[in-house]
Amino acid sequence: MEGGGATEAQKFVWQGAIPLQIHLHESEVTSLPAPPPLMVLAPRIGYLPLLASQLKSHFGGALPPGVDTIWFEYKGLPLKWYVPVGVIFDLLCTEPERPWNLTVHFRGYPANILIPYESEESIKWSFINSLKEAAYIINGNCKNIMKMAQSDQVDLWNSISKCNLEAYIRISSKLKLRIIDDDFTECLISRSSGETDSAGSARTGRVPVRLYVWTVGEDFTDADDAPQVYDWDKVSYVNRPVEYQNKGKYFSLGDAVKLLLPNYFKEKPQIDSETKTEVEDEHTNADEGVSNSSIQTKTTCSFPKARLMFVRVQGIVPKLEVPFSWVVNNLMNPDYFLHLCVCIKVSQ
Amino acid sequence: MASDSSAVRKVVVHLRATGDAPILKQSKFKIDGSEQFAKVIDFLRKQLHKNTLFVYVNSAFSPNPDELVIDLYNSFGFDGKLVVNYASSMAWG
Repeated sequence: MEGGGATEAQKFVWQGAIPLQIHLHESEVTSLPAPPPLMVLAPRIGYLPLLASQLKSHFGGALPPGVDTIWFEYKGLPLKWYVPVGVIFDLLCTEPERPWNLTVHFRGYPANILIPYESEESIKWSFINSLKEAAYIINGNCKNIMKMAQSDQVDLWNSISKCNLEAYIRISSKLKLRIIDDDFTECLISRSSGETDSAGSARTGRVPVRLYVWTVGEDFTDADDAPQVYDWDKVSYVNRPVEYQNKGKYFSLGDAVKLLLPNYFKEKPQIDSETKTEVEDEHTNADEGVSNSSIQTKTTCSFPKARLMFVRVQGIVPKLEVPFSWVVNNLMNPDYFLHLCVCIKVSQ
Repeated sequence: MASDSSAVRKVVVHLRATGDAPILKQSKFKIDGSEQFAKVIDFLRKQLHKNTLFVYVNSAFSPNPDELVIDLYNSFGFDGKLVVNYASSMAWG
């Protein structure tokens, strides 16, 4: 990725946008007739409050007197402003609702649910800190970001808020945040001349991942039929890096997610039903000679019937067999975190 | 947010003042790993009677307030504790 320009998939990610139909909450409408909803395309990699100026100029005339603090709501759920738009959509709108109907508020900020929001500076601050956190995971420190020239930091943020992928790659490549080699397309990408240390050698790396996990009790065949999430309390927010070892062993998206969620999945993911019958057999046949492996299987897997239903990332539901390295290098967000919406079926 | 059932272990948080922020009498405390980082921030706000507070991990970055303390400890903790710095003005941009 570094020095190699944008991949085709990255371009798709950066062009990705959610068509929104935004309504002003009825309690804040003081004009007659009420203002019509605003149709707007919100970039996936962006953040909802970045639409503030458009929304203010559309709805401003209808608002009651007072001080503005913008926030958004979907079916009664206040939306977290620091989660990228695409991630919120993938998590909360599993059915293809297009345009996506959201409600905007300029008054009555729900400070008990959302962390304070002041201005675009709040999002920039949140983004830069997320980037620093990712850098810390990748390099063990975030000096490259702390040492960034102020002008570069401004340019980097502008590249996000204006969705300018070329500018983003130009500035972010200076940060030297190479995560992992893409085993499959690596040979196609020309390396920049400055890099000599990583060429050819087997590398280990830590991949920053943010997981948004929700569990369901029922089966469904299509990801779009998954039960909807209406409450942040129903979503587990898991931040764990993937320890990636590029040793020629195939490592898939499904492997990575199962590795990150040991509570649900065993250390070495196998076909659940087979493992289970093996364990049962050993219990019935050998009272004393139960092997260590079967005991471990029992203790490390607290949800014997957990099944990874699907992972949604950047609006797509990739096959779980897709190489993890490809997913990281092509579908991560500009903060260098891979944001994955994960649905798990658990039958107790 | 729902928490992992196994994440009940406690994490030692080591609080360090930065800049002109007052030093707390009790610099270490234990917190449930399944708590969000927001709870650490709230604790500091109450102790210091300040609404505006900048809270960092390892003098480096401010975590997302939703992140679980156990995740932060596992990724960024060392010597059995999670180092949290606090300042009354922005310390590390």
